[in-house]
Formats: sequence, C-alpha cells, structure tokens
Amino acid sequence: MIDYKQLWQSVLVEIELGVSKANFTTWFKDTKIVKEDGGVIVLSVPNAFVKEWLLERYHNTILKSLRALESSVHSVEYVVNKEESRRREERSTINHLGMSELPIPEITVNKDDNLNPRYTFETFVIGPFNELAHAAAQAVIKNPGALYNPLFIYGSTGHGKTHLMQAIGNHIKKTSPSKKVYYMTSERFCQDCMNALQFQKMTSFKEKYRKYDVLIMDDVQFFTDKQKFQEELFHLFNSLYDNNKQIILSSDKNPHFIAGLEERLKSRFSAGMVIDIPPPDEESRIAIITKKATNQGINLSQEVVDYLAHTVNGNIRDLEGTLNTLIMHSQLKNKEVSLADVRNFVKTNAKPKRTVAVKDIVKIVSDFYSIEEDSIYEKTRRKEVIRPRQIIMYLLREDFNISYPSIGQKLGGRDHTTVIHSCEKVKNDLKEDLSLSQEIGQIRNLLIV
Amino acid sequence: MKIECIKDRIMEAVGRAEKVSGRNPTLPILSGLYLEAKKNELIIRATNLDLGLSTSLSVKVIEEGSVVVPAQILNQFLNSLSKEKTIKINLKGQTLHVATDKTETSIKTLNTEDFPIIPEIKDEESFSLPARDLVLGLKSVLYAAAVGSMKPELSSIYLGYEDDHLIFAATDSFRLAEKKIRTKKTPNFKYVLIPQKNAGEIVRIFDSVDEDISLTIEENQIAFRGGEIYLTSRIIDGVFPDYKQIIPKEATSKVIVLKQDLVSSLKTALIFSDSLNQLHLTISPSEKLFEIESKNNTVGENVYAVEAIIEGDDLTINVNHRYLTDCFQSIPSDTVNLSFSGQTRPIVVTGLEDKTFMYLTMPMNKS
Repeated sequence: MIDYKQLWQSVLVEIELGVSKANFTTWFKDTKIVKEDGGVIVLSVPNAFVKEWLLERYHNTILKSLRALESSVHSVEYVVNKEESRRREERSTINHLGMSELPIPEITVNKDDNLNPRYTFETFVIGPFNELAHAAAQAVIKNPGALYNPLFIYGSTGHGKTHLMQAIGNHIKKTSPSKKVYYMTSERFCQDCMNALQFQKMTSFKEKYRKYDVLIMDDVQFFTDKQKFQEELFHLFNSLYDNNKQIILSSDKNPHFIAGLEERLKSRFSAGMVIDIPPPDEESRIAIITKKATNQGINLSQEVVDYLAHTVNGNIRDLEGTLNTLIMHSQLKNKEVSLADVRNFVKTNAKPKRTVAVKDIVKIVSDFYSIEEDSIYEKTRRKEVIRPRQIIMYLLREDFNISYPSIGQKLGGRDHTTVIHSCEKVKNDLKEDLSLSQEIGQIRNLLIV
Repeated sequence: MKIECIKDRIMEAVGRAEKVSGRNPTLPILSGLYLEAKKNELIIRATNLDLGLSTSLSVKVIEEGSVVVPAQILNQFLNSLSKEKTIKINLKGQTLHVATDKTETSIKTLNTEDFPIIPEIKDEESFSLPARDLVLGLKSVLYAAAVGSMKPELSSIYLGYEDDHLIFAATDSFRLAEKKIRTKKTPNFKYVLIPQKNAGEIVRIFDSVDEDISLTIEENQIAFRGGEIYLTSRIIDGVFPDYKQIIPKEATSKVIVLKQDLVSSLKTALIFSDSLNQLHLTISPSEKLFEIESKNNTVGENVYAVEAIIEGDDLTINVNHRYLTDCFQSIPSDTVNLSFSGQTRPIVVTGLEDKTFMYLTMPMNKS
C-alpha cells in the first residue's frame, strides 16, 4: 500500500520549489490524498475554488510529480472536503452574558422509527476492532432479512453497538424509504408489553411490532428472568423471522452467556450472525478522537491526540467525555489545547485505572455463572462451583499476576498447590475447549469495564 | 484590450464587484478585479475564495483582451469622477490607461495568469424567484444568525420550503428569526444553508436587481444567476436546528403595541441601560400597564410606560435590549404583538395580522 501522507508530502515539496509562497499556501494548504483506487488518486481540497484552480493550473504538475514517485498513478481526481468547509469561524464578539439559550433540540429523534439521525455510517469510525461488525452491517444493508438474520452484536458499553445498529436503520431508511424500520430498547419493549397486558390490548401490541421490516432491539440482556416478556419476544421473533424481516439485536454479552434467558431464545439469537465488538485499539482511538474533534471544529495537535488515545483507555464514551470537557475548557479560555493542559486535565479528572479487588472478580465470575458468591470461598466440591473457582484463580494469576499462595489465601484459605493445579487445568482445557475460551473472553470483557 | 463605455455603468458594475474582492495579504491577486473585453461586452470578475462574482455590461470593444486591476483603486477612481459621461480604457503593456475628456490616468495592473477561476455550476436544474423576494427573505433574518460560531449551522441562513412558502430562518441560539415568502413554484432542493457572511453580500449585490434570480445547488456550492450577474457561494453542510419545537404554543401574557411607540421607548431606554443591555419589562393587565425600565448605576435610570393592549397574567421579565430591537426592521405591519409564556420561556414577536414573520428571543436570567 502507498503511504499517502508521505507521497503527498514529497509532491508538495517539489511543487513548493516552483511556485511563490503565497500561491503555495493559498492553493496547497489543507490538501491531502484521501484515496487511491486502481491508479486514480483522489485529492481532498478545502473548497471549490481550489478544486478549479488545481484542475486548471496544476493538474499536469501534480500528475507528473505523482507519477515520478509512484509509477502506478495514472490520473488524479479532486473532491471538496466537507469537513473543511465546516471549519471554525472567528469567534463572536457579542456580549451574551446573562442570556440563556433557546432550548434548541440537538438533533431530534424521529418519532416514527425512534432512530436518531446523528448515528450514521459517515460518523462511524472504522478500525481493526470493529471492521468485522461494520462489514456484517454492510451485508445486512445490501440484503436485509436474507443473509444474516438475526444480526446479533455484542460488546461492552460504549463500544459503538447502538451507533452501528442505528446507522444500519438510518441507512436502510434512506436507501429504501418504503421499508419500515423501528429501533427500541428492550426495556421499552417490556414496558409496552406490560401496558398491553394491563389494559388488555395484546392484539394491537402484537400487530404493532409485526408490521416492521427491520426491527432493531438494543440491550436484550434486560430480558433476563422476564418469562412473560421472553415469550412475547419469542413469538415476535418467529413471526418476523418467518416473513424474512431483518432483526438486529445487541447485548453486552454473547447470547449463550446471557443468564436467565430461555434456551430457545438463545439458540434463535445465535442463528444468524453473532459479532463481538471488542474495545478499540489505540490506533482506532486516535482515529476516533481526530474525527470527533474535527466534527466539533477543533484542531488538536498530533501529540495531544496521541496522548489522549494512550492515556484514556476504556470505552469510546469515556473518550468522548474527556474530549468534550477539553474542548469546553479551551473555549472558556479561548486558546488551543496544549499537551500540558491535557496532561494536567487527565491527571486530575480521568478515571483512575482500577486496581482489581479479588472480591470484584469473584463477584463478576459468580454472576456470570449464576452461582452464589459465597460458594466460591467455601470448601464445597460441587461441580458447578469448581469450574468458576478455577477460572477465577486462572484469571488472577494470568491477568493480574498475583502470587499462587496469596490467591489461595484469598479464596478461602486454599493451599497454593491447589491453585497451581487449577491454573494448569484451565490452561490445558483452554487448548481444546473452545467454549471455555469464549467464556473467559467474555469475562475478561466484563472485567475491563 | 481597448474599450469605450458609459462611466456610470462601469462604475456600478465595479462597485458591485469591489465588495466581493478579497483583502488577503498573502495573495494580493484577490484584491484585484479581472476585466475581460470580449465581443461587445466587458466581463468583471471578483472573488475572495469564499464567494465568487462575475458580472457583465455592454461596452464598445475596440480590441479584445483581459487585465487584472486593484479593485479599490479602480472603484475609488471611478467614484471620484463626477461629470464625465464616457471613458476610454486602454491596456498598454503592464499599465491600464483610463482616459476621459478631462483626465488621463494610468493604473498598474496585476498578472492575469494568477487570478483564480470562479467555479461554474451548470444551470441544468434551477429554481427561480424574484430578486426582491430573495433579498427580503435574507434581510429579514440575517441579523439573527451567529457572527462566528462553533456550530456552522448557526452562522448560516436556512432556506427551505414548506406549504407553498419559502422559509428563511436564522438563529444564534439566543434568538431566532423566521420569514415566510409565498411562492408558486416548488424548489428542487430540500433546504440549503448559506453562510451568514455571504448572505450579507448576496443581499447587497441583488438589492438593485429587478429580474428573477435562478438558484442552482451543487454538493458544496450554490449559484445565483440574475440579470448579468453570476454569484457563487460555498454552502454549509449541516442540519439546521429543528426550531419548530421551541416555539411556545400558548401565550400566558400578550402585549399589542404600536411599533413606532415601542421603538422610540426602547431608544430612550437604551440611554440608561447597563453594560449587559438589560431591560426590565413589567406587564400588568390588572393595572393596564406595560412598562420598560432600564437602569445603569453610573448614569441613572428610566421608566417608560408604553400604551398597549395587555392581556393575560401579570409578568415581569428581563430582556436584552439589542435582541429585542433587532427584529423591528423586519416587521412589515405598524403594530406588533409580543407574546410571553413565563419568565424563562422565549418571547415571541410578530406583526399584528402578519403571518409571514416571526421572531423569538430568550429572556435574560434574573440577576
């Protein structure tokens, strides 16, 4: 793959030699290569004037320089960069002191389909961590109801599940307006169902949801232990599925690990495509920060972006929150965000990295397997307790590097040899047992949050 | 290049173009006007790389050619001539010679090669409206747009369509203005956001035009064609706030007052207003009283009772003088209607029996 940045930089250096400084800054500032497709280089330019000018005056020079450096290039196209046209304008000088703002709604949620128009693919940042999920979403868009039905997306909070699901909805709505799309949370579904039961309007309730072509349901883990609602969901699912209507679901864990969910639902949920969105890697975090900052019309220096991406771990929501606060600060002080500011800010405000307490891990794991927390510490050898206990030991050792004796001591005064044995056992089992490794992956996800 | 033309006509065209030309120290060519003599007309172009203008006038062309001259100099020079009727323009080498019966002038020129190209949008699918409608619509709401804002949507003018009316709207999030203008045709676009700064220029340029103007919209640009003028501006890519929701549906207090009375009382109040331009309004239907009070600790204070028809509940409310006064220029009727719905809700200003214009402003916090 060609390194666009470097390629363009070399071209610019060459062009700069041939033109005056004023001309160079006017016409070549804020230009960059955005895409290369079969020898066609696409250049992004800040406005239509620059586009005309480059096309008319510099087209040949650009093409020649590009070719000299990269022989596969055979033509150049120009596009006007929309984000650049949203660039920050000079700040207002009117005295707004004491004025309250009009309660202008941000972007509003459409009442017919519950979709928030802000969630689109254009604003969705794709990185290695979510490209699979994105690809699946694209497949669903091309062929709703046929290929991956249901599409089940799971991942921890703030990893972009809702954004992705709503983007699918918004896209389908845009490309085929005749299709009825509906987004809701599971909580809303339960509420509706309860009201219908209460006022004996089950028939109209059933009617309402069965007419949709694309049904998007967020956070299905809320169905846990709600038998009646699960039954309704089951019937709804079947009726939509049989009519080839697309169903998109999300949850914080793999359907198989949602405790208190009926087997028949679990198996139906996993029938289509089950996709995990893991936490974003650092590269993606950089991309996300840059995009959010540009959308807000703020320029952040590369080092600030890198620092933020490196220090603010965890989910995208945290990242956005930190970024928003930073922007707010810079607006208040009316100056650019410097690295020192960010350092200071992150140090005082960011969520401290959690030092994990053994108790928390025990709680998470025992919740995961729906067993009593206390039973982990007891001397019981019941099978359903042994496995989780071993997993706890394994995690404590592998992920948190706690010594064998102290693990044994903390888990009800066990001998360190028991702990060693357990860890080895899990390690060995992991090699063969695929579902075990999935389970552990899930638990690790839960631990990160 | 060699031409001969009526002074007043070229002066008008140059004046129009001069305002568009840039003041860009890094690229001096932008402060120039591009003049091109071709067949029997003179084409004048100007741009600041945000807005581009091209206008033409018929002249007697003796020799075709083109030149770039400093806009300000040419404009000032033409304006300084009073009695001359015709002028002769002649390019000799790098200098432009302008001659009248009495004066002989030469102006240094700039390199035509460097002058930017003005993006041309093909007028295949356009929507046309009378120039005065466009100007009136923009003018009515222009002042409500944010001058510079983090949100480009707010520093732009919304132009949309709804139920046989063109909708012009602008808001800086403290106040909002909306103007509806009836149209028989349905536009071929849903809506467009024009940068506030450029909208001001559009108003100025088309103010003196009587013909219809055709609008053509491309992905990033909008073009206006009318008479001999072609004007293109960048447009903002964004979504204008859905302001319909924030318009209060029911008013709890209403004041109907003569526009002239209100404007002059506000003028008096301004003298005594404080640094925040705060005005204190008292609306008391029970005592049939509508009072405007302003107070400045260093100057003094003033209370002005305005004759008005007052309905609804008693209310005292603080407003920003500037934000209230701005809207009166756009209200066509001689009587205005102020609707209040509580101390913290927006105030709605409309003309009595006028449904085309509406203005919303937020009250000030009690301090």
